[in-house]
Amino acid sequence: MYPRGHSLKDLVRTSPFLNPPPKATPDSLALLGLRRDHFIPITLQDDGAAVTNTRFGSFPHQALLDLPWGTQVRAINVNASRSKKSKKQGGGKKRKRADDDDGDGNLREDDAGGEDGEGEDGHELASSGFVHLLPPTPETWTISLPHRTQVVYTPDYSYVLQRLRVRPGDTIIEAGAGSGSFTHASARAVFSGYPSQQASAKELENVENGIAGGDALPKKKKRKFGKVYSFEFHEPRVQVLRDEVKEHGLEEIVTVTHRDVYEDGFCIDEEVDGQPQPRANAIFLDLPAPWLALKHLTRSPPTSSQIRSSANSPMPVTESDKPFRTPLSPTKPVHICTFSPCIEQVTRTVSMLRQLGWIEIEMVELLHKRIDVKRERVGLQEEGLRGGNPMPKSVDEALGRLREQELRTRGFYERQKAKAEGKEDDDADAGAEAMEKELVKVEDGTGDAEGIESLLSKQQRMESNQSKAQERKIWKEGKLVHRTESELKTHTSYLTFATLPREWTEEDEKRVARKWPVKKQGGVENGDGGKRGRKGRGKEEAKLPEGGEDD
Amino acid sequence: MHSRVLLNTHVVLRLPSGQFKIVEVIPNTAIPLGKYGSFSTNLILGRPYHLTYEILDKEDGQTHSKLRLVPASELNAEALASEDAAAQGEEKTESAANAKGGVEFDIVGENGELLMRSNRLTIDDPLRQTLTQDEIEELKRAGTGSGKDIIAKIMASHQALDEKTSFSLAKYTVRKSKKYLKRFTVLPMDPGMLAKVMMEREAVRIMELREEMLGLIASWANVHHYSDPGEEMETKRGGRWLIIDDTGGLLTAAMAERMGILYPQEEEVEESDEEDLEESNATNGTNHQAPSPKDPPRPTTTDASEKELATTTSNPKKAPYNHTPSQSSPTTTLTLLHPSAQPSLGLLRHFGFDTNEPSPTHPLHTHLKTLSWLSLLSPSTDPAYAEPPLVTAEKLATWKSGKRGTYHRKRRRWERVKRVVDETREGGFDGLVVATAMELKGVLEHTLPLLRGGAQVAVYSPHVEPLVQLMDLYSRERRAAFMIGGHTSAPSPHANETEKRELEEDFPLNPLALLNTQLQTARGRAWQVLPGRTHPFMTARGGAEGFLFSGTKVQPVEGRVEARGRFAKRRKVEGGGEG
Ligand SMILES: C[S@@+](CC[C@H](N)C(=O)[O-])C[C@H]1O[C@@H](n2cnc3c(N)ncnc32)[C@H](O)[C@@H]1O
Repeated sequence: MYPRGHSLKDLVRTSPFLNPPPKATPDSLALLGLRRDHFIPITLQDDGAAVTNTRFGSFPHQALLDLPWGTQVRAINVNASRSKKSKKQGGGKKRKRADDDDGDGNLREDDAGGEDGEGEDGHELASSGFVHLLPPTPETWTISLPHRTQVVYTPDYSYVLQRLRVRPGDTIIEAGAGSGSFTHASARAVFSGYPSQQASAKELENVENGIAGGDALPKKKKRKFGKVYSFEFHEPRVQVLRDEVKEHGLEEIVTVTHRDVYEDGFCIDEEVDGQPQPRANAIFLDLPAPWLALKHLTRSPPTSSQIRSSANSPMPVTESDKPFRTPLSPTKPVHICTFSPCIEQVTRTVSMLRQLGWIEIEMVELLHKRIDVKRERVGLQEEGLRGGNPMPKSVDEALGRLREQELRTRGFYERQKAKAEGKEDDDADAGAEAMEKELVKVEDGTGDAEGIESLLSKQQRMESNQSKAQERKIWKEGKLVHRTESELKTHTSYLTFATLPREWTEEDEKRVARKWPVKKQGGVENGDGGKRGRKGRGKEEAKLPEGGEDD
Repeated sequence: MHSRVLLNTHVVLRLPSGQFKIVEVIPNTAIPLGKYGSFSTNLILGRPYHLTYEILDKEDGQTHSKLRLVPASELNAEALASEDAAAQGEEKTESAANAKGGVEFDIVGENGELLMRSNRLTIDDPLRQTLTQDEIEELKRAGTGSGKDIIAKIMASHQALDEKTSFSLAKYTVRKSKKYLKRFTVLPMDPGMLAKVMMEREAVRIMELREEMLGLIASWANVHHYSDPGEEMETKRGGRWLIIDDTGGLLTAAMAERMGILYPQEEEVEESDEEDLEESNATNGTNHQAPSPKDPPRPTTTDASEKELATTTSNPKKAPYNHTPSQSSPTTTLTLLHPSAQPSLGLLRHFGFDTNEPSPTHPLHTHLKTLSWLSLLSPSTDPAYAEPPLVTAEKLATWKSGKRGTYHRKRRRWERVKRVVDETREGGFDGLVVATAMELKGVLEHTLPLLRGGAQVAVYSPHVEPLVQLMDLYSRERRAAFMIGGHTSAPSPHANETEKRELEEDFPLNPLALLNTQLQTARGRAWQVLPGRTHPFMTARGGAEGFLFSGTKVQPVEGRVEARGRFAKRRKVEGGGEG
């Protein structure tokens, strides 16, 4: 697809998460979107035999390659028996959403599936089903990744990354890596380019200019590239995640380390620009006992007075054999978040954070809801239809029905009476006639032509409703309502945030104070941020009473 | 950027009352904090963020207060003390009271005096506090200390002090110190912070966009930095997001932050070049560099005094001649569609960017593109899009320099408008972010065709109703009806006006163009964490909850949905428009 030759593309492996190619390409991660919250991750292969089988049909990779993203793709009926064996069953039952509870039968989820065959067994896989071909995002990966552990989902990781102030070029420490959900989201957040891209660009330049080695070039200030340092002590998980990171083209951004962080902390032997790593400015701990890891997240060795001998801090300090190293950025403020489901964990973490001099400690629980929207259809016309409420829609409709029922009952008695009196024919006819007249009145009264239907049997009414429904635009009818989705996560974890400001010594202060001496001057008052400068700027500051006081 | 307080940047001060104050750090000026006193900006310049200071009382003959850096240990002392107390079992009585449902709020009066304690174990009445409010005021005026003295005196004069458990003592102190301690904390200005500050002041101006939503929007719009090592990188566009922002620029700032185009590049000046940093910051507070390596080298910095002058007066900054044209970056860009003649992005000035006088060295100068709805939908009627007559070089040479300048400026402006309008109409955007009070159907009708397949859409609204309506346009029933109901078969060339109108009414938007539409809300709930007394805070801000609609742009199966009347019309806009 790409022209050969001296190209950066050959030297730098990019990530489909960050640089999705314009079209589906071989060896790159793609997702097949089956329905809401249901995606199948596949690595496309340029191989005639490669087929992905889903509940909605089979999709040979050859038919997917080179398609633009977002394309709706029809299944191709390859070989039903092969589908049967396939492990990649798309339509798992476990995550059935409210889709199915409004039970509108014939209107099946149409994002995928079309004529979705019933067969979980694979034999009846419809050949006319379809899926959407999508590029991967951390959001879709999070819900489709092979789960090894509990994972952090989009609402939580979005909030955490926001609060941790994670930006392109930042360095984040993450432990434990678990299934790598948070890993992918933070890789996107820190991404500021591929380190080899700069190096290769330089090399390329040198090759072109006939210069060997990079020294001849003027020394430029190096950019710092965003990095994720991920730690996990469960070896198989480390392996799986490393493979994924590689396959997803993120190996230049994510470093996965196999380690028990309680014991051995977060420093690693890698050096970037002669600086020991990670030099992190953001930390996310999704561990059972985050307080045990905190002692490794300081800028100077914690003193024993900081770590008081209270019951909750088994604190093995002094590792005098090794010189102290910090995994933290020496200059940037460091933001941390610990993610714990239980309040006891929070208490211990917060206590330890306080002892270690973290400030702005805050604990927050994120309440997240997804909302279902539907149309609530009420009325007699709904009898026999799915998704509607067949109660009368109004007092008038109720009255109408009551009247009809009453007439019907009367008609019945009249017929009974006639029968009993033996003058079946004549009188019965007369009775029926009277009833007809009444009915007309009822119809006039309510203006509801359907009134007459209560004279029909229930079965007949339902059938009549169903056939009428064909003409109705039920997607526009009824009242538009919303409510919380049926499966609600009411608690994921407590999020504890804190900040460790840069250390500031007296020497630092002296140095800067020399730079910015406080001169004797006429007391120029610097009001609020926006006062000088353009007119009409920020009313918002002007509103704040000076020294805003109230409590 | 956030390591230290740089010259002429906006910072946020958190005051003892918990209120925030935005301040621009102009050297050699005083920042007044009302009754807390005032201090010189030079005392915070060059220092790290997140530090808390105490304003010391002026010594005789001094014009300025000094600041004392409050160490973290002192900031955490109260909480730690109460943890200790808890650990020592002193909490027995307290927690017993709590367990029985004892209320534990102090009622503090208007002026900070303690009116009533609900703690059942302490009999309390205001009379026990022998120091009157007048006396307290007196003490403050006398300036015998920085608040701490006062607290100590009040505590000492409190007869019932002995009855207090350490817990209530700690709590009492907290209450008092809030009132009397002259402390403030210097916090960096960033979109999350700005959202917090604005929520307290002018929530409506930012459409009540909470910090919680910023992260969620960025995720669902898949907003991130873009860097393409492809060969054609000089010209190839990539990482482009379309944005509609009625929050005064907060949303734009938040997305720009995620893309790495909100702040000047600073990573290279980390610890290695400490002294360099001093220099470059001192002379160069508002000098910004775009982050992408393909951007041209940073323009040579102007001389310190000149720079200071330029940024401290409201004179328009003269752009250096050799700078890259504004709004010209091919990658990692935000394209803002605005409803008025000018974009309304006033809040960006907190990040050193003014859309009226954009600093040519700010990353947003090249990475933020703006155009009005008129330019997008009907460029031919937009005067800004019309080419100003070209003048020959010979003729130009005869003009006065002022006239020549105007001519060049007009040409440059037109080139910019044309470039932005043309590339926007070409489409291919990677995502769409919306926060607007405008009708969403119209907004999406004109923007969805500009997205590439697989692009993400995120629409924020303070209220749920507009998004409920939007969800309904993509309901399963509507999608099914669209497909089954004959609308999806081959286009009917015979469709008359009535039929078209009906189609428009039934399907205001192509219900198949967005996949995975969902509606959600998220809200943080803050807790107090103290041993035995951990619970959610009792009050929080009400107001709009804030909701997010999201979806993925897709391309329905060929030949089924495509060329129905109105969609053909929309495609025209996409392809080059009616203009
Ligand atoms: C809940 S999972 C993390 C999930 C992850 N945040 C995600 O989003 O996929 C917790 C992980 O921490 C790992 N872990 C627990 N204790 C550890 C330790 N001391 N050092 C390193 N990893 C640890 C566990 O093996 C587990 O995989």
